[in-house]
Amino acid sequence: MFHRLSVSLLATVAISGTAFAQDVAQSGSQMYTDAEAALQQRLGETPNTHRARNVILFIGDGNGVASNYMNRLWAGQQAGGLGDDYVQPQEAFPELALVKTYNINAQTPDSAPTAGSMNTGVKQRFNLINLGENAITEDCTTEADNALTLFSELVTDAGKSVGIATTARLTHATPAAVYAKTAYRNWEGDVPAECTNSKDIATQLIDAMEAGTVDVALGGGARYFVPKGVETPNGGSGRRENDVNLIERAQADGIQVVADMAGLAAAGTDAPILGLWSDSHASYEADRPESEPSLADMTQKAIEVLSQNENGFYLEVEAGRIDHANHATNAKRAMIDGKAFADAIALADEMTDDADTLIIVTADHEHAIAMNGYCGRGTPIDGLCYDVANEGIMHADEPVLASDGKPYTVVGYLNGASSVMIEQADGTYTAPEGRPEITQDEAQDLDYTQQVLIPKSSESHSGVDVALYAKGPWAHLFDGTIEQNYIFHVMNYAVNNGE
Amino acid sequence: MLTRRVFLVGTSALVGACALPWQASRAAEAPIKLRELYNKDRSFSDLALANEGRRITVEGYMAPPLKADARFFVLTKMPMATCPFCEPGVEWPRTILPVYTRRTVDVVPFNVPITATGTLDLGEFTDPDTGFWSKVRLGNARYERT
Ligand SMILES: [Zn+2]
Repeated sequence: MFHRLSVSLLATVAISGTAFAQDVAQSGSQMYTDAEAALQQRLGETPNTHRARNVILFIGDGNGVASNYMNRLWAGQQAGGLGDDYVQPQEAFPELALVKTYNINAQTPDSAPTAGSMNTGVKQRFNLINLGENAITEDCTTEADNALTLFSELVTDAGKSVGIATTARLTHATPAAVYAKTAYRNWEGDVPAECTNSKDIATQLIDAMEAGTVDVALGGGARYFVPKGVETPNGGSGRRENDVNLIERAQADGIQVVADMAGLAAAGTDAPILGLWSDSHASYEADRPESEPSLADMTQKAIEVLSQNENGFYLEVEAGRIDHANHATNAKRAMIDGKAFADAIALADEMTDDADTLIIVTADHEHAIAMNGYCGRGTPIDGLCYDVANEGIMHADEPVLASDGKPYTVVGYLNGASSVMIEQADGTYTAPEGRPEITQDEAQDLDYTQQVLIPKSSESHSGVDVALYAKGPWAHLFDGTIEQNYIFHVMNYAVNNGE
Repeated sequence: MLTRRVFLVGTSALVGACALPWQASRAAEAPIKLRELYNKDRSFSDLALANEGRRITVEGYMAPPLKADARFFVLTKMPMATCPFCEPGVEWPRTILPVYTRRTVDVVPFNVPITATGTLDLGEFTDPDTGFWSKVRLGNARYERT
């Protein structure tokens, strides 16, 4: 007892005295000196208390801590490294917080009230957008008395411009939270017949663009802007039950409507832009034709246009399809879209000045996703888990086998359509032949869907915290574990305070 | 890794729509993936064009059939417990392939891998029975669990 105590006392003395640094056996290691350099950099940092001219809110839909980890390893391995030590652009930001994402009435959140909480400063109810706590989902009679004030409206009043860029439909939950107030997120192109005082989400976007609370809107979803049977700019067919052609209305109002990369490139910076690349969601990055803008292309154009306003801008950028690939338990497409998200972040950071631009990178919610182990370094994140090698750094040549003698992938989901449980003729679910045996080639295929246990038509979100990375004015107010609606409060403070 | 499949795709890109004799035996080789029927711009790939009217084998999953005792099902590239694209009247997605079978479909659970072998038919077609519109399909087909 006495002996152990004296040893720990000695250790304390050795660590606390910098004069003894040369006595640390590992002080010559590059890992040691890199970490020392990181510490010195932190010691030199001072809070940025400038007034934020611009705010850019990046939301990776469903891009929780686990998905972000997949993206990091994927990007790092695509760059030729082991993956783990790779630094995504947002991971180099100085500020970090964990975000609690639950909705008023949902432990497991959906994308409508989560994005709404970031845009209004209050949590909201499941499946509705930007209505107060007394609103009821799918009850349009509760809309009028519960309409919330939006960040886009506040900054518009302050003379700023507003933009949205997304790979989802522009009428989908996350982009809609910038401009729409609705009792149901699915009222994208129509409202129920009895809701005569309500407006569908697409109409609300065009209203906002005419009112000047949205100046640039780039994404998918043309079908909700065009009546049923009328051709969309993308060659598909409209979905609106009513006969209002919102694209014609936008054009008549001087809004530039563009449908592809060439149109986006040609659009001027002197008038609002509505870009619709597809009838539904825009492409997954893995499937995107060159004629369709990437998330980075959209981000670049949005910043070019919005920064014409000397009062600054608010831009929300959503990587909407990370979420969709996770719902499909198709981890590979989620990672590829995660890299496209990172590319857009890097470009926005490059195009703006830390002195006057607050950049926030977060997710709206996590998925029912987790990583298996124990895998050696350099194990491809999109494939099977390879064993840890006892010598050297790289993983062993053999995959780790489960108790059933079969290999398994690094990435796993808890539920989804790719369940190992098979429906039998009597309606029960079981796995008579056990888990499928998979090869590395199969696991790394672009269309591979991970093995999961619980059979569900679509993999679910989860309530687990998501990360938030920030830089720029007042970014240091993001710290610790925060409520999701707090994000609005920092954005709103940052544009109104400081020199 | 230069697989036979990659070689086939590459070669058919060179010869365009001129099918070579050995391409007809494609069905006997490794099944193709649904995505290989398309280019990224949503047009049909050279592989699809070269195999028009020929029997090919495609891997995927059987979406829950629209109705019982049909001779038709939708092959999906990923398991789909409910197929949002399997109703008449929606935009054409590249992730599904209608399969018209020789015999009444014996349902395979939606998450069990299968291959479907049939005659590749390209071009727009509205099924008079179901109203299902398609841009590509397999005809005179059989299917099996893999
Ligand atoms: Zn989702």
